[in-house]
Amino acid sequence: MDPLRAQQLAAELEVDMMADMYNRMTQACHRKCVPPHYKDAELSKGESVCLDRCVAKYLEVHERMGKKLTELSLQDEELLKRMQQGTGTT
Amino acid sequence: MVERAMESCAFKAALACVGGFVLGGAFGVFTAGIDTNVGFDPKDPYRTPTAKEVLKDMGQRGISYAKNFAIVGAMFSCTECVVESYRGKSDWKNSVISGCITGGAIGFRAGLKAGVIGCGGFAAFSAAIDYYLR
Repeated sequence: MDPLRAQQLAAELEVDMMADMYNRMTQACHRKCVPPHYKDAELSKGESVCLDRCVAKYLEVHERMGKKLTELSLQDEELLKRMQQGTGTT
Repeated sequence: MVERAMESCAFKAALACVGGFVLGGAFGVFTAGIDTNVGFDPKDPYRTPTAKEVLKDMGQRGISYAKNFAIVGAMFSCTECVVESYRGKSDWKNSVISGCITGGAIGFRAGLKAGVIGCGGFAAFSAAIDYYLR
């Protein structure tokens, strides 16, 4: 597969991931912060503060999980490489 | 950005202060008209007070009530906004808590018992107003 096609695929995957994350985040924070009473069309102070905090926490969790995941997958990759080298020499 | 400034606690407190000042002034002038004790002369108890005396009394009463209402309004609005920002929710408990804080702060100057009574009274008043408004 040529590198341009690979880059395109990676970019598409990234866009899909971001869109999915946005949808999930909107759903989760709306469920958590906006109680279904709807007496007023505008967000009250408490609700907007809650939404700010919810989004910040969600993005931070997403970032940390991503880092942890790449760390673990790197470890797995190294282990696999060592095993392959071991079977290659014997 | 203007909306963010308008949603801030400081702006809300300032708005409540100005509103309280106006309302207190009107209330004070009105009360001066009802509960008058101006221009009483022990030598001539049936003397009608002059317009100047009446107006001066109305003005003094109005300013005094206006200042009190402005301070109470600003305190209540500020504490309610801070409590709401801390909790991250907007329900009836915010007004009750901030009513207790405001009433307690006002009453505490006259002793601990007055502070507790002030807290309870103002909290109940806030809860009633909140119940009516929601």
